[in-house]
Amino acid sequence: MTVQAPKAAPRFKMPKETLRFVLLCIQALIFIAPLYWMLITAFKTDGDAIAQPVQWFPKNPTLENFDIILNTPDANILRWAWNSVFTSVAYTAAHLLVACLTAYPFARMQFKGKEQWFWFILASMMVPGIVILIPSYIMMIQFNWIDSYHVMIWPGVANVFGVFMMRQFFSSIPLELEEAARLDGANSLIIFFRIILPLSVPALVTLGVFSFLGAWNNYLWPQFMVHGDMLTLPVGIGNFTMRYGIEYGKLMAGATLTAIPVLIVYVFAQKYIEQGMTLTGLKE
Amino acid sequence: MLKTATKPTVPRRSIFALNESNPLVPYLYLLPHAILFFVFFVFPIAYGVWISVHRWDPLNTITPFVGLQFYTNLFDIDKIQAQFFWKSVVNTSIFVVLSVPALVVVALVLAVQLQKPILFRGFFRTVFFSPGILSVSVVAILWRWVFDNGNGLINVVRRDVFNLPIINYMTDENIIWLPIVIATVWWTVGFNMNLYLAAMSGISQSYYEAAELDGANGFQKFWHITLPLLQPTTLFVAVTTVLASFNLYGQSVLMTNGGPSRMTQSVIHYITEEGFSNNQFSSATAMSFVFGLIMLVFTAIQFRMMAKDVTRSREK
Repeated sequence: MTVQAPKAAPRFKMPKETLRFVLLCIQALIFIAPLYWMLITAFKTDGDAIAQPVQWFPKNPTLENFDIILNTPDANILRWAWNSVFTSVAYTAAHLLVACLTAYPFARMQFKGKEQWFWFILASMMVPGIVILIPSYIMMIQFNWIDSYHVMIWPGVANVFGVFMMRQFFSSIPLELEEAARLDGANSLIIFFRIILPLSVPALVTLGVFSFLGAWNNYLWPQFMVHGDMLTLPVGIGNFTMRYGIEYGKLMAGATLTAIPVLIVYVFAQKYIEQGMTLTGLKE
Repeated sequence: MLKTATKPTVPRRSIFALNESNPLVPYLYLLPHAILFFVFFVFPIAYGVWISVHRWDPLNTITPFVGLQFYTNLFDIDKIQAQFFWKSVVNTSIFVVLSVPALVVVALVLAVQLQKPILFRGFFRTVFFSPGILSVSVVAILWRWVFDNGNGLINVVRRDVFNLPIINYMTDENIIWLPIVIATVWWTVGFNMNLYLAAMSGISQSYYEAAELDGANGFQKFWHITLPLLQPTTLFVAVTTVLASFNLYGQSVLMTNGGPSRMTQSVIHYITEEGFSNNQFSSATAMSFVFGLIMLVFTAIQFRMMAKDVTRSREK
């Protein structure tokens, strides 16, 4: 950029930075608008929601919609929320433990069949999830696991993504630390729990956040595996669409109740999610 | 006394020892995952093969062998299953063709704007990414309301702000994909944007400085430096987005329920309908294998790219 000789001072200067900032603000507004629309509708009466002209801010704000959906006998929202919390936390814990146990020998040990087994389980990532949905459903019937917490926890633990990610991370930990501990007489389990895992906390948190969000927002699987009081929150709220058709006040109240907790969790976990995207080797 | 004197100082070779002298240790670590992997992944696939060549009926105890009948049905155009299945494959492909370019281009446009430092950069990044953490049901319910024929946000703006006639987005067959594609872009574009931002942070500033000396403007720098250097990222983003879009399910089920007249019914939606609503589990399993094979082509590309990434990080 060449510096212009100062002419008559321009009355209004619009540097590129400002233009860029204004453009970003407009786009951010477009992104936020649907969420605002959801929020204000949740606080409107059914009449106000479709009133003309539109109320950009609810004239008669009401908690009625929240009251109705929280107290509808056939929509046990609080129970669904608990199911979601419990199964997501249990799944995340089980998945982290199993993924780390599996990743450890792949990263740190030599054994027969290592390469073959690794590529075999890695190949499972090529198989689209829909392929095992129906056979799994029939299996779950035979296990008598339909409408149980088991069905929401165990089948997903076989997922290989976490193994792949943790193996990458374990490989980056210096071998010397492990050898020093071994000379002190530590056995393999002690090394694993006292040295490898504590050093892997950033990766564990990242994988944990991904696993939790994945389980929390899972839709296809629980839709067929659990029903009634055993439903998870996203499926339960999804079923609302069918039941409450066009009563948008109630639908938006339900959607708000489902969205707000994850948005809050996200604000706190944001650092790890962004970190995780580079850590998982997705970068480049 | 003699025993303690001869006690070996090196770790004893025993199958109970948890150290490197025991060759079983690695396998013990692998065992929990291996069991789950066989029970919940390998076995269902094998079981699926068996189900698809028999007539499996939840109300019947006998399951007669039918061979490849459920597969050949899918290629017999007189059969209703074949018509609906391939229609859903075409529908899903339309969605892929419409959504993938949007998801790549919008992600790139957002990332370019946030590439250089700017006021509230972190805030903007959060705003563009945060819809991605919502569940598909929230996204679908929300956008159904935004595109509502009568009083949705978009029609309200058209009517009350611009004084334009309302449009029946949710029932007009010509634009029925628009709400679904826009909802999907809003929902997932932030993920791709983050991948682009991560890749951009790896581009050396010296390229831009050299270009500035040559008098390149902002667009030229983007076209001749940023874009070519982002090519591997673009390929990766495109392939993963194609895969994600082929898995279309929740958005179309919850926004249009596959309608009008099955125009937006995705493959997964039809497979689950055939299985769970029509109780045609064998037929649905055969369909999922055929569709799985189609998707495998795309997944293989992604898999190769990941394998490349592994070898590259090993070399480092």
